Amino acid sequence: MALFTSILALRHDKRILRLPPYLSALCVIIGIGWLLVLPLDEYSRRTYISENAILPGQVHTYFGGSEHNVFRAYRHEVHGLIDKGVAERSERLSAIFHEQNLKVATQHYNYTVSNRTIANENVYAILQGPRADATEAIVLIGAWKNMADEVNNSGVALVLTLARYFKRWSLWSKDIIFLIPGDSTIGPQAWVDAYHDGHDERYVESLKIKSGALQAAVAVDYPAGPWGHRYDKLHVVYDGINGQLPNLDLFNTAVHISSSQMGVGSVIQRMWDHKDTYKDRLQTMLRGMLSQGLGHATGPHSSFIPYHVDAITLVTVGNGYHDEITLGKTLESLFRSLNNLLEHLHQSFFFYLLLQHKRFVSIGTYLPSAMLIAINFSITAMALWVKSGRSPEPIANPASTQPKNPAFKTPAEKQKDAKTAEEEDEKKEKKDAPPRPTTLIEKNGSQSIHPTASTQISERTLLTPLLLLLTAHTIGLLPLYTFNNWHAPALPALYITTANLTTLLPLIISFLLFWNFPTILTPHTLCLLQSFSLLLLGMFLAALATLNFSLSVIVGSVCVPLSFVRRTRHVGLTAAQMLGLALLNPCMVVQMGTKLLGVSLAQVLVQGAVGWHVWGLWTQVVVWLVWFPAWLVGAVVVASGMWE
Amino acid sequence: MAIDTRQAIDTRQAMDTRHKVLLFGAAAAVRLLLFTVFPALPDLLAGRVDVSTPVTSFKRLQEGVFLYTHNVSPYDGGVYHQAPLLLPLFSLLPNPAHAPLATNVFYTAVDLASAHALAQVADSGFASVTPWFASPRRHLRWSSAAIAAGFLFNPFTIATCLARSTSALTNLAILTAMAKASQGASFTFILAAAFAAYMAMHPILLFPPLTILLYHARTRNSKTTPSVSPFVISHTLGFCTAIAALLTGSAFLTRSWDFLSATYGVRLLLPDLTPNVGLWWYFFIEMFDSFRDFFLAVFWLHAASYMPGLTIRLHKQPLFVACTLTGVFAIFTPYPSIADAALYLSLVPMFRHLFPLMRYTFLASASILYTSFLGPAFYHLWIYAGSGNANFFYAITLVWSLGLSVILGDSLYAALRDELDVERPELRDKEVRRI
Repeated sequence: MALFTSILALRHDKRILRLPPYLSALCVIIGIGWLLVLPLDEYSRRTYISENAILPGQVHTYFGGSEHNVFRAYRHEVHGLIDKGVAERSERLSAIFHEQNLKVATQHYNYTVSNRTIANENVYAILQGPRADATEAIVLIGAWKNMADEVNNSGVALVLTLARYFKRWSLWSKDIIFLIPGDSTIGPQAWVDAYHDGHDERYVESLKIKSGALQAAVAVDYPAGPWGHRYDKLHVVYDGINGQLPNLDLFNTAVHISSSQMGVGSVIQRMWDHKDTYKDRLQTMLRGMLSQGLGHATGPHSSFIPYHVDAITLVTVGNGYHDEITLGKTLESLFRSLNNLLEHLHQSFFFYLLLQHKRFVSIGTYLPSAMLIAINFSITAMALWVKSGRSPEPIANPASTQPKNPAFKTPAEKQKDAKTAEEEDEKKEKKDAPPRPTTLIEKNGSQSIHPTASTQISERTLLTPLLLLLTAHTIGLLPLYTFNNWHAPALPALYITTANLTTLLPLIISFLLFWNFPTILTPHTLCLLQSFSLLLLGMFLAALATLNFSLSVIVGSVCVPLSFVRRTRHVGLTAAQMLGLALLNPCMVVQMGTKLLGVSLAQVLVQGAVGWHVWGLWTQVVVWLVWFPAWLVGAVVVASGMWE
Repeated sequence: MAIDTRQAIDTRQAMDTRHKVLLFGAAAAVRLLLFTVFPALPDLLAGRVDVSTPVTSFKRLQEGVFLYTHNVSPYDGGVYHQAPLLLPLFSLLPNPAHAPLATNVFYTAVDLASAHALAQVADSGFASVTPWFASPRRHLRWSSAAIAAGFLFNPFTIATCLARSTSALTNLAILTAMAKASQGASFTFILAAAFAAYMAMHPILLFPPLTILLYHARTRNSKTTPSVSPFVISHTLGFCTAIAALLTGSAFLTRSWDFLSATYGVRLLLPDLTPNVGLWWYFFIEMFDSFRDFFLAVFWLHAASYMPGLTIRLHKQPLFVACTLTGVFAIFTPYPSIADAALYLSLVPMFRHLFPLMRYTFLASASILYTSFLGPAFYHLWIYAGSGNANFFYAITLVWSLGLSVILGDSLYAALRDELDVERPELRDKEVRRI
């Protein structure tokens, strides 16, 4: 109890008010430093298989021999369909599945996004497992076009071959669905939405045949042409929509089978040449975080993960000596393992950061960094709240005295002094005119005199700052709606306009408010406004860190200056802060980000709109309703210093 | 002095009337706009565990209404656990699946009536001045319009209204009982209190403090003290008669007494362990069956024991006791929802004069703010994403309850301190120290 009361007594110490900025800075530094040590051996772990039932790589694979000839035939067959229309393609693929005695159906989808029509068709077939009761199913996907918009010629052919091959086995205890979507991201989304009856029937056709609950999905991307291509490694892609990840067991199984059983190396996050150094591990982790933070679809598997169906994509990369049969055997072994599952994948981690294909960091180790960054805003918010309760009057240091004796000054200074003596006298009089009220404080029998300002708590007016904050968050709805519904060709122009407007917006808002309603933007209101805004930001980021860790870290890091900017009457300081904030404008950051990554801004905007309407992407909600309002409030607070 | 306050109140009321019309109009507009612009929102909220509990859910009510209109006992399916008298009321409204407007307007009107009752309570001034006690800080108060606005624009209230949870009706009954008690209207007070107790059972605990409040109001209005025993006996008898009449009416309506076990039995014995924002469900999931009865008794005893203690200790401030009890309900009853928290959090601003004495307001409000975002996030991880588990959500409900109990404890401390300042003026502004 004594400790508690002494902590409570600390509240009265004036030094405690100077602490929060340093505490905030410390939180940020530790938070970011925390991320940087994660790739070290002491903080990361080797991956392992948790689920006993999977038994990866324990079966002998029989794919090969005459299946190779079948594969080559299908590859030519698929190649012949490349220039054909969608209807003819679907018809031919359906016919092939039908010849293999599988139940086949097609699904048409037709979305209108940014005033463009995206229409295509999915073809899928269901193999009823001989030992299955149609309650569970696993999915093998070969998208017609891959993420780079190349025709997935050999991938689709491999799916067709494996369908024919799997059909002859009697050991399947789950149904297997072979899915050939029209493209890599929108088709699978339409299919998986319709499979779970979560689709809008205006855009997506309902599925005619279905099987049981989906347990896992594996997509294959092998865009080699009719004469084949020998690849070097398998690129395992695992990011889902909104940064959700598949169970780590599925990823580990795929890596284990390809590297240990088949001898094919595996890579992640486009790190083609991973030397397992600190730098490479860090780079892999950061790439993974960026991809997770953006929350976009990274392959046909991405759409499955929000429905709690663990899924990955295997992409062939490089030039080497592995052929299609090795890939087929990998898939066979992977499906045999998934076939063993007794229950949904749940044993291993759902939250992890991968450093290389066999090393990971689990949530308990990395989460504190995002939380520390989020807490830094809460600390500043609390400090500003306390500050807003203190009297606005400056408190003079009672121990200081003004120098009265000019004896120690140089002659030059004396001259200067003589000139300004009159002015100074006037100032002194003004300063001294109203003597600061003081209070007599008695404690434990001893008495002391304090300036009254330091002991009083001033009233806080909460309504105005709360309304202003609500307005700032409501403003964010406007760009959110516009960017998701504007015509695709005009999107970049709209973006530039928004970027310019938002940069000027804080100046305009503070100017208008300052000249028309000078009573609104008092220092007191601004202090509370900033406090509430940072409190909300800290809260959103803390909640977001549990859902999408990477996005929370990214937004948190670029928002860090917001907890250090303050309103000041110093023009230079205000200008410098405004310049810094202008660079951290969400629009500017996104634009600079696209420049750095070498992607076209127009493409990002169009994909964002597709994400909003088709994938159910939430990233832009975070940008426009969390990040942008926080930035706007910070910039308005700083800009109001300009008009003093 | 009483006359002075009342004159001040009269002038303030005149000023407030225009504000109130604006305020009620705006609140109704917000609700109807949300109902119209987001037609999927009410059903979404009606399915959320933090808004709708098994004993207040609108979906279950619709099931009950369906069975009732098809001449089947509404309690047969084991889904409906709400009061029987709600059934004829809701069977009068058109089916909300096809014509939701009538239901939406009804719930909006319920919220407005609650806000009106709350404003009446605030206007009575009993929060800081009673015939036996006057707070030294009584000049610190917010206008009744501001307090009503705090209720109407509280996101929790709006969510409850959109989810069409029947706790909105319970809240209306509780607030009306408070309003009538503070006006000294015996008959309507008894009726409203009986309705509240009939619908949610635990508001029966509000009867003693509110009877004291009624006694204070009568004293102030007539300037003579009515003798205590006849007052208490007549009102208790009246209350019992009203409840008996409601129960008999219900039995007559459903043609059996089955509803007792399906409504009050469920609230008492907790057979439905659907998660909610309270503390009970997780305990009783984990508990061995042999201990169940014992812990049910302990939990109920704990929740109920606040009433006598607070009523006796703070009998000079009965409105504060009633307000604190609604806070206790929001934390310690078996099926609390954000509607109960909304009621408590809208009553607290009436005690503006205690705020300078409270110590953890920012901390407690920040923790409630944080949990109201983290709660849905963790529930999503548990139920939809499948990557979390029940402990995630339960941890957040613990923090939520902690935030509410910090406000509760802190305001209780402030009220006691306020009384102390009157009894021992020389101790004013001294630090408290535990001896």
